[in-house]
Amino acid sequence: MDIILNTGGTAFQGAVIKGGRKFTDEYTKEAAYCDINPTDFEELGKPWFVKLTNDLGDSVILRAKKTDRQQRGEVFVPRGPWANIIVTPVTESTGSPAYKNLKIQIEKANGPVLGPEELMKKYYTKRTSGQVAGGE
Amino acid sequence: MSSEAQESQISNKITCSDVTCPVCGISCDDIDVELDDVSVVTRNACIMGDAKFKELRSPHRILTPLINGKEAPWSEAIDKAAEILVNAKRPFFFVGSETSTEAMGVAIEIAETVGGLVDGNATICHGPTVMAIQDVGQAGCTLGETRNRADLDIYWGANPEDAHPRHLSRHSIFVRGFFAEQGRKGRQIIVVDPRRSTTAEHADLHLQLKPGTDFEVLNAIMTILNGFEPHESFTEVTGISREDIHKAAQMVEDARFGVIWVGLGIASTRGKHYNASMAMRLTQLGNNYGKFVILANRGHCNVAGFNEVLAWSCGFPYAVDFSTGEPRYQPGEYSTVDALRRKEVDALFCMCADLGAHLPKKAVERLAEIPVVSIETAEGPQAFISNVVLPGVLDAMECEGTFYRMDNVPIYARSFCDPPFDFTKSNEDTCKQLLDAVQQKLAAREKAEGEEAARPKTLSEEEFGQRLDKLLSRV
Repeated sequence: MDIILNTGGTAFQGAVIKGGRKFTDEYTKEAAYCDINPTDFEELGKPWFVKLTNDLGDSVILRAKKTDRQQRGEVFVPRGPWANIIVTPVTESTGSPAYKNLKIQIEKANGPVLGPEELMKKYYTKRTSGQVAGGE
Repeated sequence: MSSEAQESQISNKITCSDVTCPVCGISCDDIDVELDDVSVVTRNACIMGDAKFKELRSPHRILTPLINGKEAPWSEAIDKAAEILVNAKRPFFFVGSETSTEAMGVAIEIAETVGGLVDGNATICHGPTVMAIQDVGQAGCTLGETRNRADLDIYWGANPEDAHPRHLSRHSIFVRGFFAEQGRKGRQIIVVDPRRSTTAEHADLHLQLKPGTDFEVLNAIMTILNGFEPHESFTEVTGISREDIHKAAQMVEDARFGVIWVGLGIASTRGKHYNASMAMRLTQLGNNYGKFVILANRGHCNVAGFNEVLAWSCGFPYAVDFSTGEPRYQPGEYSTVDALRRKEVDALFCMCADLGAHLPKKAVERLAEIPVVSIETAEGPQAFISNVVLPGVLDAMECEGTFYRMDNVPIYARSFCDPPFDFTKSNEDTCKQLLDAVQQKLAAREKAEGEEAARPKTLSEEEFGQRLDKLLSRV
């Protein structure tokens, strides 16, 4: 299903990151979910989990939450590494990427939702060989 | 306002009042803190502020420098960080916002010294709003004026109930002010947001627009104020009824002192700085009826400070490139996401920000490919993608410094305890030590290059033979 993604901060997600608990299950609880309008939630087949995919082919699995705070055709994901898997780097020459109003696809999926450390390891392989710019 | 600090030698307990909170853009300056060897108790702090103060006794705190995930001596980490920045051809400096302007100033100096690019949290936050200020101009005021005078608060793409939890009780909806003595009863509230946010629940009028139609809705209010009717397609395009848009225009017209609080709903959505420009034009128009101002709900305690420091350092608010020896400004080219996405950055210095968590995947992928130096307080995505981690100091707690509040008023935040290590006193101190190391390496390189240039060139036997063969072949 085509849908519009809005991301943004919440007080609870903010409390987790300000408190330095960024590699804990609390972060997963407060930032790895997707708010969905009740009608869209029914059309998706009352999912426990959803997979969000952007036009670049990047996708992430999140917990599905039914809420009437959302209008039909729109979903909300809290700010964080999960949302940013699918946020695209298009800045319209301002520096600010597409954190809001981004067309994506949503579908019913199975879990699990990755924790923050597992998510980083899956999507970003950090070079830790000690190499530095200019060679060493 | 009075502030007190008491210390008991027996329990090692510190009690302070009127402490400045180093979290969101309203930089609350009325926090009470009780600190002992094992715990932190706060009063007046919101859920986010309380969490940050509890970092003083957190098990997640990074206390030792790290090189490639392994503990290292401080001097070695500083040396490694300097080596990375000096050896890079296109180093990038991301100056985060939960630290002092004093630290920012030194970080910018390092960038200028090595000819790097500089950017800060504004770029992924209210950068477009800053661009709009350059385009249109901002009629602003202080938070004290909104508290004491405003009778109309418009939250446009902003949800302070979540992002600035004490905003409503200290500076807008609920507070009783000198000329707004009735508090909530004397204020009208408009919330413009596609979500029914928690802030929207307090609204007299919630304009639940379709995402990406801020420009059209702002334009429609201005059209009505100018005596015309919005286009017949208005409701179909924006999802807002004609009755509601007329009601909003009437509220603007009736206001004695109106405030538009713009959030990232304007800056991060399609249209970006054009949306913010239109909000500033509506503010100008509102001044035909009463007093009207516009303020950006800045997310961090000193994100406005970064724009201030960079602007007074080199004339531009963010997205600056020093590689030519003089500052050049170009959002979209020298800004963080764009420069990383194009993979032109080959090393990054990040101070007090979590780019690993808050940049789009395509930008973080580049961070994983290049050496990254971070000043960071806790383990998490930023520490994960960093090669060198320099432990951060908590401003307004362990060191003093200046924050620029969201209304651009500078607040001097005092400290009340020492950092849990002795190799640095503040993030400013860390940056100064790094600057010294960078300058030493550059001086050593310059000296070596000078000696190399002055040395008479002698050829090896093999090189001599090759050149001789070449000459003979011409004969």
